[in-house]
Amino acid sequence: MAEQQHTNAHHHGDRHTHISRGTYYRVFVALMVLMVLTVAAWWVEKNLLHIPGWLAVTIAMSIAIAKTVLIVLYFMHVKISSRMTQVYAAGAFVWLIILFVITMGDYVARGWPPQPGPLP
Amino acid sequence: MSTISLPQSSYIRDNSRTFIDWLKSWLLTVDHKRIAILYLLSINFFFLLGGLAATLVRVELITPQGDLMSSDVYNRAFTLHGVIMVFFFLIPSIPAVLGNFLVPLMIGARDLAFPRLNLLSWYLYMIGGIFALIAAVFGGVDTGWTFYTPFTSTYSNSNVVMSITGVFIMGFSSILTGLNFIATIHKMRAPGLTWFRLPLFIWANYATSIIQILATPVLGIALLLVIVERVWGVGIYDPALGGDPLLFQHLFWFYSHPAVYIMILPAMGVISELISTFSRKRIFGYEFIAFSSIAIAILGFLVWGHHMFVSSQSVYAGLIFSFITMLVAIPSAIKVFNWTATLYKGSISYRTPMLYALGFIGLFVIGGLTGIFLGVTAVDLHVTDTYFVVAHFHYVMVGGTIMAYLGGIHFWWPKMTGRMYNEIWGSIAALIIFVGFNMTFFPQFILGYLGMPRRYHVYPPEFQILHVMSTAGASILAIGFIVPLIYLAISLRKGAIAGDNPWGATGLEWKTSSPPPTFNFDKTPIVTEEAYAYPPEAAERDAASWRPGSPL
Ligand code: HEM
Ligand SMILES: [Cu+2]
Repeated sequence: MAEQQHTNAHHHGDRHTHISRGTYYRVFVALMVLMVLTVAAWWVEKNLLHIPGWLAVTIAMSIAIAKTVLIVLYFMHVKISSRMTQVYAAGAFVWLIILFVITMGDYVARGWPPQPGPLP
Repeated sequence: MSTISLPQSSYIRDNSRTFIDWLKSWLLTVDHKRIAILYLLSINFFFLLGGLAATLVRVELITPQGDLMSSDVYNRAFTLHGVIMVFFFLIPSIPAVLGNFLVPLMIGARDLAFPRLNLLSWYLYMIGGIFALIAAVFGGVDTGWTFYTPFTSTYSNSNVVMSITGVFIMGFSSILTGLNFIATIHKMRAPGLTWFRLPLFIWANYATSIIQILATPVLGIALLLVIVERVWGVGIYDPALGGDPLLFQHLFWFYSHPAVYIMILPAMGVISELISTFSRKRIFGYEFIAFSSIAIAILGFLVWGHHMFVSSQSVYAGLIFSFITMLVAIPSAIKVFNWTATLYKGSISYRTPMLYALGFIGLFVIGGLTGIFLGVTAVDLHVTDTYFVVAHFHYVMVGGTIMAYLGGIHFWWPKMTGRMYNEIWGSIAALIIFVGFNMTFFPQFILGYLGMPRRYHVYPPEFQILHVMSTAGASILAIGFIVPLIYLAISLRKGAIAGDNPWGATGLEWKTSSPPPTFNFDKTPIVTEEAYAYPPEAAERDAASWRPGSPL
């Protein structure tokens, strides 16, 4: 089965290559390591050091982003897809950023000015 | 091809011997044209159902007292109307029916890129619809189509979860359609069909597809979180649980403002085709119309906060949303100006589809301009949540999308069925709809401006006259929607044989037989010219050969 796909992928030509089984396993191991890191970071924060909230969130988010990138690039094949597919995949993230930034803009600016009524 | 009989073989005919075979050949089809017909039937069914709910609402509003139903039933009636019309009619209407039928034909392909996915999208639509219907039958929902929290997530004791599940499932149908169109338009254009030779209907559907795949998942997540909070009590929107009710509005409108462009962009694509064909002219400003679709798709994502001006959103966010809202009007206006310029010195024939197209232009202008009023924070504070808003969005959704949907159905009816509808009845119905529509919704602008709130069934007696006018208009409008059902059905048997190209239109879909064969083209067409390549003198030639009695 895997061999079958292997040869088919080559027939497609242009810039399509394929991801080998070994790579899949390596990515899987990397994901498992990152998962352990997530739990470890939480454990360290809870039991050993007092990490300020913003730093803890930054660490957790960075690990999560690393996992996402691995999944998108390898398991979802974006790394070996056509340029067009990559543009669309990147576009989806740009849109996610639009959603987050503008929504957070509202949250940050709530309560300015503190008194309801005409602006000073 | 002969114009005396229908072609021997076409996508509609098949040689199944038993009824079961025949049923299977439709329900398991992967032919984009047959799926379009499945969508046509199911979407029109939901349209009639939504219309029934609207009738209940309008009848209740004839008198200032609430005498036909209780406020609770009234809430369920307008919610049923809104949910069905928005999610099960307007969103899928043009892309799933006309787009499904036409995208492959217009680009010279045999089918969509993923035919099975296309069939799956119809099934998802039906399953979603069944959930919504079950919710309605077992008591309905009283939240309004916007499902605002914390009412939906905490207080409402109607069938929220069931309805939301229906909308959630239907969302995937919409995503799959968008995905299919994007892949098809990128990969399956006929040789020579470059991007700037594409019909504008294709550009419009491409822009729509972008919105469908980028916005719909956010709606899905927002609704799923309502269920999560309602069922498991996880604090997301409810302040008592540490959530924020406004988060729902952000997520919901991040989808639902772009969603109004899912409704209007394909409609604009239809109008570009109609205006050009029935003026016998190359469309004016092709590139501007094409890029304005993309601009609308992108800018449409940046304005959602104009639905939240009074929601305790930060005033600074409101200010910025208001400003960007003004920008969206630019590409919309570009289109209107270009259509008008196309009409200039064209040889205009007032066939039924053109009547709808001209109706669209006028009504969309009113709808769009009142949108600008609403986008100005100072004005919106005054008229938000009144009938002014109701009138605004009906002018764009009925006056825009439904006009284009009907215009498109009439225009491509000969291609879909091989037969012509009755032109006289067609024009009469178009005029009835135009009159009925304006009589229904224009009074609502005045009502709203005078302070009539939306979603109330009891109102001060001084508003009665305008409400009665509106209900009277709605009855005319209803007649206008029923007449086409009758003459279109009759045309299936009795209509004149249309021939390949009854309108003398350009475009690949007119180069194959009517109805087209299963794989659309006998051999792959090769495109050597731009879209709408009417020779410059076509308009003059048409005008010169016009004789009294020939079609207007
Ligand atoms: C020129 C472009 C447009 C502008 C500037 C605009 C602006 C607005 C604004 C500011 C509101 C919020 C009013 C309020 O709740 O107080 C609104 C509501 C609405 N608009 Fe538009 N609009 C435009 C085009 C459209 C189109 C093309 C459609 C649909 C095809 C549409 C559908 C709606 C709907 C459904 C609502 C009401 C949502 C609800 O609260 O239930 N609009 N529009
Ligand atoms: Cu909006």
